[in-house]
Amino acid sequence: MTDVTLSPGKAVAAVKRPTGASIGPRWSNALFVAPYLVFYVVLLVYPLFKGIWMSMLESDMFDNTSKFAGLANYHRLFNDKIFIGTVWNTVWFVVMTVPVFVAIGLLLALALNSSDRTAAALRAIFFGTSVLSVTIVTIIWKMMYMPGNGAIASIFKLFGLQPVAFITSSSLALVAIAICTIWWIIGLPMMLFLAALQQIPGELYEAAALDNASRWRSFWSITLPSIKRTLLVVVIYEIVAQFQLFGQAQLLTQGGPNNASRPIVQFIYEQGFRSWNLGYAAAASEILFLIMAVAALAQFFVSRKRVEE
Amino acid sequence: MAASEHIVGRGIGNKLILFTVVLVAVIWMLPIAWTLLLSFKPNSELMISTASAFRAPYTLKNYTDIFQSSGVFRWLWNSAVVSVGVTVGILVLSSLAGYGFARAEFKGRDIIFVLVLLGLAVPEQAVIIARHQMFSDLKMHNTYPAIILPGLSSAFGVFLMTQYFKAIPKDIDEAAMLDNASRFKIFWKVLLPLTIPAQATLGIFSFLGAWNDYLWPLISATKPEMFTITVGIASTQTNFAQSEGLGFLMAQAIFAGLPVFVVYLFFQKYIVRAVAGAAIS
Amino acid sequence: MRKLTTALLAGLVVTAGASAALAADKTEISAARFFGACEADYGTVTDVTKANGECGIITALINKFNADSKTTVVKPEIVEWPGYDQLTARIRSGEPPTISVMHEAVISDYSSRGLLEPLDEDFAKAGVDVNDMTDAARQGVTKDGKIYAMPFDTHTWLWHINMNLFKQAGLVDSAGKPILPKSTDELMKQAQQFKDKTGKPYFISTLANETAFYTRTFDTLLYQQNADFFADPNKVNFSSPEAKNAAQLLADIFAKDYTTKNQDYAASVSSFAAGDGGVFICGTWLIDTYDQEAKKEGAALSKGYAATAFPQIYPGSPRVWADGHSWVLLKQDLSEAQRASAIEFMKFLWDNNYEWSRTGHLPVRKSIIDSDAFKNLPHRGDIASLAVNGTALPSAVKRQFSIQEIEGEEVGSAMRGDKPVDQALTDAETRVNELLANAK
Repeated sequence: MTDVTLSPGKAVAAVKRPTGASIGPRWSNALFVAPYLVFYVVLLVYPLFKGIWMSMLESDMFDNTSKFAGLANYHRLFNDKIFIGTVWNTVWFVVMTVPVFVAIGLLLALALNSSDRTAAALRAIFFGTSVLSVTIVTIIWKMMYMPGNGAIASIFKLFGLQPVAFITSSSLALVAIAICTIWWIIGLPMMLFLAALQQIPGELYEAAALDNASRWRSFWSITLPSIKRTLLVVVIYEIVAQFQLFGQAQLLTQGGPNNASRPIVQFIYEQGFRSWNLGYAAAASEILFLIMAVAALAQFFVSRKRVEE
Repeated sequence: MAASEHIVGRGIGNKLILFTVVLVAVIWMLPIAWTLLLSFKPNSELMISTASAFRAPYTLKNYTDIFQSSGVFRWLWNSAVVSVGVTVGILVLSSLAGYGFARAEFKGRDIIFVLVLLGLAVPEQAVIIARHQMFSDLKMHNTYPAIILPGLSSAFGVFLMTQYFKAIPKDIDEAAMLDNASRFKIFWKVLLPLTIPAQATLGIFSFLGAWNDYLWPLISATKPEMFTITVGIASTQTNFAQSEGLGFLMAQAIFAGLPVFVVYLFFQKYIVRAVAGAAIS
Repeated sequence: MRKLTTALLAGLVVTAGASAALAADKTEISAARFFGACEADYGTVTDVTKANGECGIITALINKFNADSKTTVVKPEIVEWPGYDQLTARIRSGEPPTISVMHEAVISDYSSRGLLEPLDEDFAKAGVDVNDMTDAARQGVTKDGKIYAMPFDTHTWLWHINMNLFKQAGLVDSAGKPILPKSTDELMKQAQQFKDKTGKPYFISTLANETAFYTRTFDTLLYQQNADFFADPNKVNFSSPEAKNAAQLLADIFAKDYTTKNQDYAASVSSFAAGDGGVFICGTWLIDTYDQEAKKEGAALSKGYAATAFPQIYPGSPRVWADGHSWVLLKQDLSEAQRASAIEFMKFLWDNNYEWSRTGHLPVRKSIIDSDAFKNLPHRGDIASLAVNGTALPSAVKRQFSIQEIEGEEVGSAMRGDKPVDQALTDAETRVNELLANAK
């Protein structure tokens, strides 16, 4: 993440003291970041700590007699098979989807990185699904997945195959949600990659073409290095986003069958708003936070190293 | 732009890629096509079998019905207000902060930046219980600010914008500094225009993120007149509706998706131009 | 296009009408309900007798009330079924609806926290004769000796039968009545016979996406064996041999392909209408729908639909799972006028309880159950026993919806073979007891 170029102008600027902006540190410069920090502190940091505090209470949504319970909620969580299951489901979901988002997003971007009409139309198709609300996406996919009269089942039958019970099989339910999710929001990573690809100077490829470099080689030695920042952004964004799986699972499978597709967020939601166990829900939130922090930071530092190499 | 022609511009391989992508696109369209087909069928027929979608009669009733069910328009409006609010807010805050972190030094900046980056790892859903309590205590639920404000705390935009500002060669603003321009002027006049591609990208992300958000509106906007389209459709989409009003539900799905899709079609041209015209590197 | 314009104009007129009504100084109250949205078909219908189905009838009832009442406007607020998560969030935010539909099973969770208004005095003042309530309804809305809701219906679990397929399977007696199993052995034998003769599964069941089928059927099978699984309201007992019998029976039905698999609610509802199986175990609310279907020429159910109480296949008792919809008044800063309006609306629903029972649900008034009008509705004679046999969980049991959710998930796992039966029952017991131990 070092700056791309070190400008020769820097030395000059340091010598000459302008009356306007200066290069050195200044308190007034903090004004640029202050507005965001207000939101950050009030709506993210504060709730985070409030949540940590709540996770150590035994408290009920409508009961004001919450009392301090130390780590009891966490202790209960680690012995809760359902919760442990949701952790695995969520991690597995992230592992399944993030690489696919990156791979398909990049492939589509490469294939559709052109200014002609066909590419624009195809981009619109792949991006178009992202504008649908999760409620709509899940209705549509229910119609696809339903054995018996679902669209996929009909296609299977057409070829004389036994329809697969996607959302009622404990081994396939999460896969079904993954497929539906990728279908839904592949447009975002594709767009990010497109934006990055368009910034690669054409001369680089022209030079490669002169060297008779293969498509694969120019991808490997020109494209990939040029978009590594974007790659990092997409990976982090998708990890963060997919860890927060909720709507698709809630609406498509309700976490079933046999808890095979219940993600952590659904667990939090159910504990909080269905069982009214605020402390317990808050504790589960903190675990989600911890897992994500580890995953995102690990990813971040690994990629950062690679980007800086 | 030249880049693209070089990747894709190679004879047979090119055609093969195009063919594959078109094939995938067709598969991609299947669910939508199916939805579209169902939306033109009378509900009573679909209740017996969805296979009836392949034969007449077809009807527009499901669509005209939308205009009589008062909710959808209100929900679309709410979603639009919320999504635009979140998008504008994020763009303003992230651009300012991104510039600040990339360029405007002050004491402790780097530590604060790292702290903000840590925020990337704080999933919105992990603070949702506490946030719900906060807004409840302030009696703020069921208002636009309640639905919009939490979205503005996301660190992703700041991270993205900081990256972009850092990628802009420093000589550009240093040249401006020599002209005695103020910090804000440099930000506003010189650097901000260069970040338009990033703005466009972040804008799309934020808009769609807000448009598609489900959990927060679900627990914050609990009065029907404050429902976003996502929550609103969920409210009419019970199991029972799926058996008795499937066609209507599908028509609603198509109808609710249209406005943003149209906006996108308009936006697509703009973003391609914006990205192509950007003078980075 | 003309149709569209008409629709738009109609919408404007309705809106204008609504605001005009408000201007006339009526008290507005909000009524949160599920049952779906159907303004398109029933938005202007005030003649309740012309409405059908849950959504149609409740919409028409509210329209009629608004048209007739000189003092009150009810603003319906349609929520997702069952809507308690959102209701919880809404109450916490300090802006609950004035009244709301609530399952009787969940009333105690809210009443015990002081979130609902007791209604005894209001009902007495308004002339609601609580002695006319059926026992099931009265028990359902009474918590700690106080009435917390206006009961709306009792709904139970029953068998919808495709008589055309039953005939084909040789399961119709000389009187034209379906031959139903009287023991588990008979059930399995008849299911096999049905499958052999028709090539279709005996049962159509909602096994996907929701847990209602599992819980309600499992509870019914426990009741039939007289298993008192909530002897202690704070502790469930699923480790009894009865529980094992019931879960094993369901697992056998699944393993022997006696049921459709993988269907969600919508799929199973349409599957039965399309004639894909013999028996659809589901609720009272579908009677009217299927009865309409049976009147159609050429339909799979044409002249061949019957509804019957859940046959008793264990020697214990004919009891069956039941719950009821009811209307509650949520505690908040209510003006006298608002409270009066809320009671006025509840009284209206009480007076029109017969109309609601046309959905297939059982009425909550003895006088209606005994009336000829009700008895003459199709199939009601066959299911009248449900009003007596319908059994809810003891009202001292907390978090009944969550419990049913957990129970259904685990019984479902057992039935589909995702888990061994014993394991599933142990898990269900542990999870429910864990929930209850932490429930205030």
